[in-house]
Amino acid sequence: MTSDFKKSFMNFSWIRKTTLLAGFVFMTLGLAGAEVRAAENELSKDTKACLECHDKAGEVKKLENGETLSLHISTKAFVDSMHKDNDCEDCHSNIDAKTHGKVKAEIKSKREYALGMRDSCLDCHKKNVKSYNDSLHAALVKEGSKDGRKDAPLCTDCHNPHTVRSAKIVGPISEIPCAKCHEPIFKAWSKDVHGQERIAKGKSAPICSDCHKAHDIKAASLGTGVRDACLNCHKEAVAQHKDWLPNTGRHFEAISCPVCHVPDATRRVNLRLYDVAGQRQLSEKVDAPQFKQLAAAADADNQGLDERALGSLLKAFNQPGAEGQTVLRGRLEVNSGVEAHQIDEKSKAIRACDTCHKVGAEAFQSVSLTIAGPDGRPIRHGVQKEVLTSMLATQSVRGFYVIGSTRIKWLDILLVLVVLGAASVPLGHMTVNYLFKGVRERRKAEKMAAGRAGRTATTSASTSDKTKDK
Amino acid sequence: MKKIYIHPLPVRIWHWINALGFLLLIATGLQIRYLDLIHVLSFRTAVIAHNWIGFVLIANFFLWLGFYLFTDKIKVYHPELSPTKYYKAAWRQIQFYGYGIFRGEANPHHPNAYHKFNALQSMMYQIIMMLLLPLLFFTGLILWDVARFSTMIEALGGVRVVDTIHVLLFIVFSGFLIVHVYLVTLGHTRSAHIKAMITGYEEVEDAPAQGETPQAESK
Repeated sequence: MTSDFKKSFMNFSWIRKTTLLAGFVFMTLGLAGAEVRAAENELSKDTKACLECHDKAGEVKKLENGETLSLHISTKAFVDSMHKDNDCEDCHSNIDAKTHGKVKAEIKSKREYALGMRDSCLDCHKKNVKSYNDSLHAALVKEGSKDGRKDAPLCTDCHNPHTVRSAKIVGPISEIPCAKCHEPIFKAWSKDVHGQERIAKGKSAPICSDCHKAHDIKAASLGTGVRDACLNCHKEAVAQHKDWLPNTGRHFEAISCPVCHVPDATRRVNLRLYDVAGQRQLSEKVDAPQFKQLAAAADADNQGLDERALGSLLKAFNQPGAEGQTVLRGRLEVNSGVEAHQIDEKSKAIRACDTCHKVGAEAFQSVSLTIAGPDGRPIRHGVQKEVLTSMLATQSVRGFYVIGSTRIKWLDILLVLVVLGAASVPLGHMTVNYLFKGVRERRKAEKMAAGRAGRTATTSASTSDKTKDK
Repeated sequence: MKKIYIHPLPVRIWHWINALGFLLLIATGLQIRYLDLIHVLSFRTAVIAHNWIGFVLIANFFLWLGFYLFTDKIKVYHPELSPTKYYKAAWRQIQFYGYGIFRGEANPHHPNAYHKFNALQSMMYQIIMMLLLPLLFFTGLILWDVARFSTMIEALGGVRVVDTIHVLLFIVFSGFLIVHVYLVTLGHTRSAHIKAMITGYEEVEDAPAQGETPQAESK
């Protein structure tokens, strides 16, 4: 059957073939156009009325701060969007149809407008808005109200309400909104193993929100959220590492995945202030921040905290009356978010133990002390790298130790002293023994002489007794 | 000279496994800790070997413990509870090693199967076998899998503290080993005590004093 069809198709003249192809294309376009028209027809009368004016390219409004706000809403994009079933008034309920377009409405800035509109999202997206309100992004928005920060993301900064599509529809990576603010990281990701797979295979590879979540976003350098995200997809990772990596559990606790999976990254030790009772990273108190002041006071020369300064700073966090117990928990990380998004192929990951377990390893040349800031992002202060090998810091840095590279120098000295001391015992003892050789021989000779004398005396006595008997 | 049976077979097996194991643990431990100075084994090989040898020695320790717990030979470890008696005996032994031995005096300790340790050995081996060795094994065990034993490690003061204890004990045992090997050579011949730990029989002089003979130092 197939070969018959092929033969008859090949017998068609090129004109016939072209006509057939053109017919197919026109039919497809026609169907698509009909679908859009059908969707447009489903729009409400009011929405259609709005779009009549707003679907004109180039419609803009000058704002008080000089910005230009585009008023253009593409009907096609809108009917393709998730909001196609909503009326304009569902969100723009403040618009009075009688005066709209006739009386000039003053808008200070795009930001002010977006801030004013954000409550309208809550009406439908309660769950996501709640997650968002607990996120780092929302914390930054709150901060913005204090210090004038204007770039913290609102709903509309990531989701254009007039064109927003379902997350299930895989768009090109250029449509990912995170890139607007996190461009360097996004560029790094788009070249790494995940980004490349996303480009090649689509949804099977993780995009920003798969690891960092879409709404409940936390600072990546806090907690273990991102590592958990890695393990969520790479479920076999722990078992695979156990096949060759001693102390796998500890490595997973104390080392972030990119440390080994981004072979060219620069690394650092992050000593986190940790609340033992609460079992979480210590956060700076919003009403009584103390970390920056205490760290600055302990490090007057700004050379980084040394072992004494680190100890006294920890003491300050553990003063009588302080809640719970504060300790340091060390973790090995890459130095920047960009580096964290340069994951290479599995075969190139670092497997050589001496990358870290050797004196002078690069990873231990940079050390920082961190606390979670009020917005969730870490606040850092430098620590001198010598702290990691100091006997005095054993208690302070008790939760971080890497065999070889952070070994305590005094223990090395003690080992040498003990071995030399122990070796001097036989040497000294043998020397004295040798010096006493004469004494020993003399005493031995005296003893033998005494023994002989004793035996002679006994023999004489015995002979005398025998004579008497006779 | 007469021979007395002083080292039972299980103790001899334990001793030589322990001796070989300790040498290997020290060698692999040094390789692990001083990767920058020693290049005999790879770090990973050294760690894996160190862990396995550690487990063998922990099992071996229980062989030793089992033997002494279930036989009357445990008497060799009975402590001298009278401080006066103990310190007198210890002082006699110190005098012997520090002075008497050079003058050719007889060892004041007269061993037998139930009393093979002199006062100094008795105290030293109580500390080693009941405190230091178990502590060395325990810290080694929890460092083998830090995440698995994280609660214990936290209770002991953190991974750095536990490792410091482990390394301090390694230093103590390294020093002990050197002195131990030297003291082994202080029998009536240089190899007498080593032979005794192989055959079980210690050669002692036929001495009339107290019905026992002077001699036998070891370990």
